[in-house]
Amino acid sequence: MTETALTVTETAQPKLFGARVRRREDPRFLTGRGRFVDDIELPRMVHAAFVRSPFAHADVTAVRTEAATTTSGVHLVLTGADAAARARPIVCDSTIEGWQSTQYPAIAAERVLFSGQAVALVVADDRYLAEDAVELVDVEYSPRPVLSSVKKAIAPDAAPLHDGWGDNMFIKRHFVGGDVEGAFASAHGTLTLELTNHRHSGIPLETRGCIADWDPAEELLTLYTASQTPHLVRTGLADVLGLPESRIRVVAPDVGGGFGIKGHLFPEEIACCLASMAVGRPVKWIEDRVEHMLACVHAREHYHTIEVAYEADGTVTGLRALVHVDCGAYSVYPWTATMDTGMVLGILPGPYRIANYECRAYSVATNKCPLGPYRGVGRPAGCFSIERAMDEVAHALGMDPFEVRRRNLVRPDEFPYTSVTGLVYDSGSFLESLDLVIEDGGYAEMRRLQAEARAEGRLLGIGFACYTEQTAHTTNEFIKRGVPIIFGYDSAIVRMDPSGDVIVQVSSHNHGQGHETTFAQIVADELGVPMESVRICFGDTAQTPYGHGTFASRSAVLAGGACVRAASRVRDMLIRFAAEVMEANPDDLEVGDGKVFVKGSPSASTDIADLARWAYHRPEKLPAQMESTLEAVASYDADPGSGTFANAAHLCLVEVDPDTGGVTLLRYHVVEDCGEMINPLVVDGQVHGGVAQGIGGALMEEFVYDDEGQLLSTTFLDYLLPGTTDIPSIGVSHLCTPSPFTLRGIKGMGEGGSIAPGPALASAVADALSPLGHVFVNELPLTPERVKAFARAAREAGAAAAAGAAAGAAAAGTPRSEAP
Amino acid sequence: MAGSRHRVTMRVNGSEHSVDVDSRELLTDVIRHRLGLTGTHVGCEHGACGACTVVLDGSLVRACLVFGVQADGADITTIEAFGNSASTLHPVQQAFWDEHGVQCGYCTPGMVLTTVKLLEENPDPSEEEIRAALSGNVCRCTGYVFIVEAVKAAAARLREGQDPRAEVAP
Repeated sequence: MTETALTVTETAQPKLFGARVRRREDPRFLTGRGRFVDDIELPRMVHAAFVRSPFAHADVTAVRTEAATTTSGVHLVLTGADAAARARPIVCDSTIEGWQSTQYPAIAAERVLFSGQAVALVVADDRYLAEDAVELVDVEYSPRPVLSSVKKAIAPDAAPLHDGWGDNMFIKRHFVGGDVEGAFASAHGTLTLELTNHRHSGIPLETRGCIADWDPAEELLTLYTASQTPHLVRTGLADVLGLPESRIRVVAPDVGGGFGIKGHLFPEEIACCLASMAVGRPVKWIEDRVEHMLACVHAREHYHTIEVAYEADGTVTGLRALVHVDCGAYSVYPWTATMDTGMVLGILPGPYRIANYECRAYSVATNKCPLGPYRGVGRPAGCFSIERAMDEVAHALGMDPFEVRRRNLVRPDEFPYTSVTGLVYDSGSFLESLDLVIEDGGYAEMRRLQAEARAEGRLLGIGFACYTEQTAHTTNEFIKRGVPIIFGYDSAIVRMDPSGDVIVQVSSHNHGQGHETTFAQIVADELGVPMESVRICFGDTAQTPYGHGTFASRSAVLAGGACVRAASRVRDMLIRFAAEVMEANPDDLEVGDGKVFVKGSPSASTDIADLARWAYHRPEKLPAQMESTLEAVASYDADPGSGTFANAAHLCLVEVDPDTGGVTLLRYHVVEDCGEMINPLVVDGQVHGGVAQGIGGALMEEFVYDDEGQLLSTTFLDYLLPGTTDIPSIGVSHLCTPSPFTLRGIKGMGEGGSIAPGPALASAVADALSPLGHVFVNELPLTPERVKAFARAAREAGAAAAAGAAAGAAAAGTPRSEAP
Repeated sequence: MAGSRHRVTMRVNGSEHSVDVDSRELLTDVIRHRLGLTGTHVGCEHGACGACTVVLDGSLVRACLVFGVQADGADITTIEAFGNSASTLHPVQQAFWDEHGVQCGYCTPGMVLTTVKLLEENPDPSEEEIRAALSGNVCRCTGYVFIVEAVKAAAARLREGQDPRAEVAP
């Protein structure tokens, strides 16, 4: 049977693919019986706490541990020197020419490069004692000049942060495609725009945490850790510890949110493994919230300068970009410090037909927490730049911003469309989604409400943004990006047991995405068994096939595709076996309702439960050369590996108070197209969650560093997360353009929601302020202080325009002697 | 340094517990690690996220802001007091399940407890009242949309006195 054919079967049980099935994993969370890392207690377990640097850049000149180690209840103080003797630092190198490498130690030995970096680990009987002993570790520092910003780091006189570096750039990338010079030379008009996305992060509600358990007798290391990528953590650990992977088991149990942030090998995990090896007992470390803010990974800090060339009809003919991303102190594993720059370089033209494009993108090293991937990775910043640029082109030409988009969006008959950067947009509904969001989002009513509010002196604004998002990209794309590990596939084992029930072991990780439900839907359909008899197993490297984990909007396509493949192989085994038992031709058989039956005459059937029992216990019934094990392993890579492109359009309505700078989000609507949906309920939930995180980054979330590299927002009182009163009810409409590249036509969609809220809200704030004057809203998040500044700028622009109009009226009839 | 130890007695989910705790030990640690009731989660340890919400003597509290010794003699309800299986869910738990009010599940116990308390006090809350009541509980996954829908659904069912379990789809 072919993999891509959707089997149409007359069965009592309808196909589960596409059904709005309630999630099967929920009861354990609703009853408080989820099992997160900190819920695990092991015999003789001891507890760790880290000593962290108060300086953003300093030499560590002495670490005195005697007072701590001699304290009752303290088992170990592990220093940077201890760690360096037992583990290699984390090195994650890009293969792109010009890359400059970093060595990120488990514990800093000689030098710290960001405030909050670990300088020692204390292990004690309990967490309270460990934190007491942290205070007793005496570390001497000799501070160095701090490069607390991109500006400082790229200054000509800035000393390189890393030994052997020529400057402070991890990587300098340059792309040019088409005739950029020509486009600008012949343009009707050009714009130069500067845009800033400040630093924030995914902030999962559960912090990081791990238990390292070294068994010296078995020479086996077990690491329980809150990770999205247990297999990659195992590989990384093996590399730094010099252990074979067969000696390492990584267990990622229930994980309280990840969003990309928990998809790394962290120094703290290595340090805990070393500590467990040293004390011969399980060592638990549960990160506290301040540590998480200081030293996990941050995201998003982008500075873009965009030049746009456009024609009189709104067609954008050329785009130039200069991109700086503040990547912090180290390259993170397994992504490298190229992720955000590479993503922006590739996707900045977005869903638009921009044939002439040049981009210089620089990953800059600073004395800050390392930057890592967070839901959207570079695309929120890229979308912010191109969407704001489209609005500015519309403003410059006095055109409707929707119309400017329509002129530039890739049209339905142009798919598959190869972008100027070589991305293959496999399919999409770019124009349709824009039209639908105007309709379903209530655009006309929004304009009416806006007019009424303006009559009352209130400022309402309407904003929108659209994007296309590369999802489920595998081999080809990651080779292009130059990452050291090519995340080329994910995997599944489907195993039918003697009772006819099915265990599915997947390499992806489930921490909110609903895999225990969606993958069960897929497998149940494929095997013709009830969903209740399918159980999904994930997270434990000892129980799952090797694969990469959950990130980059890939699991539904790749792990889901692996489930399809593995299950279809088991189905073929069942049919082959049934054909022998029933003395039928396998081509005449199909599965459904727990049976293998003859097509067209379902009463001629054999129960799958009987076949399963016989396969294991009555092997004499099996056909010749058929093995007893009803199981199959498969991986899936969504050939050609360039990914499948989802798309969406977002529309919102805000009210702005120009005096307080407050922005109230009144309405939000999303039209999304992720191809075929396995479970629309789960898709809706993912869209809502992504949008809420995008709103957080657009309005309130920000890591603020001072000039000395001290992080000023380390708690939820100064780093604000959106709550129930900040997020309106989010409307979601679906379009379905199946991917021609993937099994079942699925596209990834987990990240998408977070991409467009930034530009949509900025556009709405600019629109709200427009009665005062035109202002280019170019900085996120839109905190009250910034919104007040934009309101002032709008008023000034309005006054200047009025004065200019008056002067123009006075000077009417006289030739203009100079450009405005 | 370590403070003095105290014997505290508390009634948790209807059962009496006597435990020796350090004077500085947080109620979250007592509940989670001494009593093994790990459904109470810890998200910030500074009272801002609501993951550790429990009911203490009839009031919602952040267990991370309470010392164990302060709970001596208290009557505490945690998520484990409610339904413990798919077939015995409380109507609020059931509504969170039906309406997809759960993603990673970490904020869920605090959300459920806050909702139960809200609906005890206000059986017919407006959306604005629901959002206000839940404003101290952070969810990072759902965008709150389906959580708010779940609270509305739970309120309706409780008002109607329906047994939501009768409606469970397969």
